[in-house]
Amino acid sequence: MATLTQVGRSVPRLEGQAKVTGRAEYVHNQRLPGMLYGKIVRSTIAHGRIVKLDVSAAQALEGVHRVVTIDDVLKVVPNPFYGPAFHDQPILAAGKVHYVGEPIAVVLARDPHVAEAAAQLVEAEYEELPAVFDEVEAMTSKAIVHDELKPAGTFPDLKHLKGKRDTNLALDFHLRRGDVAAAMAEADHIFEHTFRTQQVLHLPLEPYVSIGEPTDTGLTIHTASQSPSFVRIEIARLLGWPENKVRVKVPYLGGGFGGKLYIKLEALVASLALLVRRPVKISLTMEEQFYTLTKHASTFRIKSGIKDGRITARECEVWWNGGAYADIGPRITQKSGFTAPGPYDIDNVSIDSYSLYTNLTPAGALRGFGIPQLVWAYESHTDMMARALKLEPVEFRRKNLLSDGRPQATGTLMKDAAIAAVLDRVALRMNWSGPFDRGSGTVKRGRGIAIGFKASISPTTSIAIVNVAADGSVTLYCSTVDMGQGSDTANAQIVAEVLNILAERVKVVHPDTDVTPYDMATLGSRSLYHMGNAVRLAAEDARDKLAALARELGLPEGSNVPVAELFQKKYKMQAGNSIGTGSYIPSYVPPDASGQTPEATPFWMVGAAGVEIEVDTETGHVRILKLINVVDAGRPINPRIVETQISSAAVMQLGFTMQEKMEFDAGQVTNASLADYKIPSILDIPTDMQNEAVEAEQGSGPFGGKGVGESGTFAVSPAIANAIEDAVGVRLTALPLSAEAVYRALREAQGAPLEE
Amino acid sequence: MTPFDLAEPATLQEAIALLDPDDPTVRPIAGGTALMLMMKAGVFRPGKLVSLRNVKDLTSIDAAPDGSLRIGAMTPLAAVERSAAVRAHAPVITRTMRTLSNIRVRNVATIGGSLAHADPHMDMPPVLIALGAHVVAASPAGERTIPIETLFAGYYETVLARNELIASVVIPAQGARRSAYLKCTTRAVHDWPALGVAVAVESDGATVRDARVVVSAATETPTRLAGAEQALRGGAAGNALWRQAGEAAAAEAETISDGQGSAAYKRQLVRVYVARALAAALEPDGAN
Repeated sequence: MATLTQVGRSVPRLEGQAKVTGRAEYVHNQRLPGMLYGKIVRSTIAHGRIVKLDVSAAQALEGVHRVVTIDDVLKVVPNPFYGPAFHDQPILAAGKVHYVGEPIAVVLARDPHVAEAAAQLVEAEYEELPAVFDEVEAMTSKAIVHDELKPAGTFPDLKHLKGKRDTNLALDFHLRRGDVAAAMAEADHIFEHTFRTQQVLHLPLEPYVSIGEPTDTGLTIHTASQSPSFVRIEIARLLGWPENKVRVKVPYLGGGFGGKLYIKLEALVASLALLVRRPVKISLTMEEQFYTLTKHASTFRIKSGIKDGRITARECEVWWNGGAYADIGPRITQKSGFTAPGPYDIDNVSIDSYSLYTNLTPAGALRGFGIPQLVWAYESHTDMMARALKLEPVEFRRKNLLSDGRPQATGTLMKDAAIAAVLDRVALRMNWSGPFDRGSGTVKRGRGIAIGFKASISPTTSIAIVNVAADGSVTLYCSTVDMGQGSDTANAQIVAEVLNILAERVKVVHPDTDVTPYDMATLGSRSLYHMGNAVRLAAEDARDKLAALARELGLPEGSNVPVAELFQKKYKMQAGNSIGTGSYIPSYVPPDASGQTPEATPFWMVGAAGVEIEVDTETGHVRILKLINVVDAGRPINPRIVETQISSAAVMQLGFTMQEKMEFDAGQVTNASLADYKIPSILDIPTDMQNEAVEAEQGSGPFGGKGVGESGTFAVSPAIANAIEDAVGVRLTALPLSAEAVYRALREAQGAPLEE
Repeated sequence: MTPFDLAEPATLQEAIALLDPDDPTVRPIAGGTALMLMMKAGVFRPGKLVSLRNVKDLTSIDAAPDGSLRIGAMTPLAAVERSAAVRAHAPVITRTMRTLSNIRVRNVATIGGSLAHADPHMDMPPVLIALGAHVVAASPAGERTIPIETLFAGYYETVLARNELIASVVIPAQGARRSAYLKCTTRAVHDWPALGVAVAVESDGATVRDARVVVSAATETPTRLAGAEQALRGGAAGNALWRQAGEAAAAEAETISDGQGSAAYKRQLVRVYVARALAAALEPDGAN
């Protein structure tokens, strides 16, 4: 490859200045003429039939424009159910509510304070139904969340669930490889453990916000969404319109993390705008985010057979708490199921992964698409086995790692996955083989390591347009959403590399479905790879067209005439464009009935963590002294942004590991505020945090690059639990690793458990 | 938030006259850092707020020759933090400010407001109780003095009448007493404390003559622990005595379960932090 000048350079973020000076555009700040504000009225019970919904007092309040219920919505959307996997979620509750916080009505007013006051006046009466909250109980529960399952039809593996009754199971994924029973029978040792994770929240500092704007030709939706193309297609489907009547515009996002995907408020504001023929804006409060989408709580039973220090058999059973609506949960269940046995070379594997409905806030993707839940379990398990077998934990891992060319659990051969290199770099930075101060008195020290991996979701499509104007300036049109991850800058660097210009000179047009082409969504670390490839192809297409123009004008090959002069020669003035397009979809083979496929994913992501900690044995407080994060990101397109992606992912997972937990009482979130749900602040972040992307290259990626948004999350939780056991000899199997949980485990180990 | 009336009187007497002894929707507002959160959450919907921001003569900090301090109720916490007089006569307050919420809150929140709000998680109440401080409160009936240890009637409740305002906080001269305040958070460094412990100890270096031990946050109101204080009186200063006091405190404190921890766990925190606070108070280069 020729020397790269734009790729591999830490170009400052193109939007940096606009953001820090408060000029960047966000939906939150948008106001349209005649706009109404909507305030959502929410269910106060977890499961029940709506017996009565009295909106008269709210409607009577001065300043209220209209109070809308599902009966009104039905006038514009006769079949008001949406969702990426199941058409299970109604635009407003239709007859039944399925979780506390479910929208049952909306008050519209010119003044948002009036809408809020009136929302308090809506009275609902319910006939309560039995509810189920736990994912394992949901498997056999008599409480059934949905009367009938309604798969969307877009996923072939969900078709058999159509119309199914009396079940909470929204997907079951099964994988069988080798002969687990035989291998277990031959094993020297068998270990079995169960691990749990809690409900946590995306909590972008810009909460969910959307505006519906009726237009002469259809409808424009301004929305803080990670998936503008999906929004357009799904809204068009709900309205029975062609796609081109729906325009979806997305400026910058104040964070997304997998929350702002698919349909959140968009179907609601679309219906409201069409009903009242005025722009309608709904901005959720921080508190309302707790009633919109969570990360899946999970239970993972894992069992391994060991022979001669090698893992020869592994059995995985995973239950995912999907909440009241499936959202993308079934996809998480399947795709993360692919890698549930971990980055290990195991011949005999069985995986059963279950997506379950419960009467809680719906769960969806959150920075890792299920992977952090799995790594939490299999890397805690790995350490527990090494400890029991008195094997050095890093050596035990090395002996079992998957290497390139070997088949992974799905049968797909590993390729361009720097698993061993990532583990080695963590161990080196930890000085793992060196001496370690174990603390003294009531303060003990410990250290831990963990490693995880992920198969990128597949197959998904990205399309890009690169437009070279007559003066040679370049504009990129694509529907990737820059929600803080730096995609505008990275994509500009790819264009610039191909066209041999400075990345800072490329203009990136933000998603506007009237203008920018289709993209599946900005999720799962897919954009740098998929859109990056499409952007590269589009730029190459534009470059080739310019070369063709030069040939047409009779210029000798490689004459390097400036672009502006080419256009001048062709059109006799500053006129014309060279438009390149690029479309990318990787090859993919769906898994067979045993979960086997030769092509499960276009690329693998690898992330490892190492921690040194201190435990106060009198209180259980854990202090993280050092956190090392190493990933395989292929060749970093923008090294500085890659580093911040690694560190921000690790810090987010640190919050999910040590601090964050949604507390529930009969399905009601009891800590739905930032005062009581604590995300990490700068004071919670270890002072010694090191982040590294190993030297690697993704052969099929744009300039050797691949996604990195999630890799830093994978291994943080088990690394810390492993360090806690190393320090004080107790093992925690449920997140979060709170001081009280550690202290209780210590007391338990002393034979003097603390009373409840 | 819903619309409300806002009054901005210029004197304490005007402010008191604007308050209503019978209407809970009429409330005074000082810095507003706590009240605004309640309003945004819809927990409190005011009919009228009486802002004390323009009230004159409530923001001075005066030290008397004997070392006692009088702090005007509307003094922002940041001003208390920077006061040389406070650092000289009650340095535990200066130290407490460093971890009291954050500088943005301290710039706005007031010392009077931090008492009148009666949130048991706040840091100033236990510290001021340990120092033996009192407030001077004004109402149509005139002025009265209320020891801060009797100011709190319950969770978010004080003994103040609805039309009674704290005018100043008076901290007696501390003499040889040495004090410390420790707090313990369980969910994040910047979380509300799961426990606050304030101690003030009088000792000749070898023997403890007298001590005040106050816990907050883990209990419904900031509470003096008489048993722990009794255990300390006349004892030989040192870790054994601090642990003994911690045991007494744990036996005595009525801790409550909430999102920050169970009652049983908080009792353990009381045991540990009372001992640590006593050690911190008497460390030669630590607190005094």
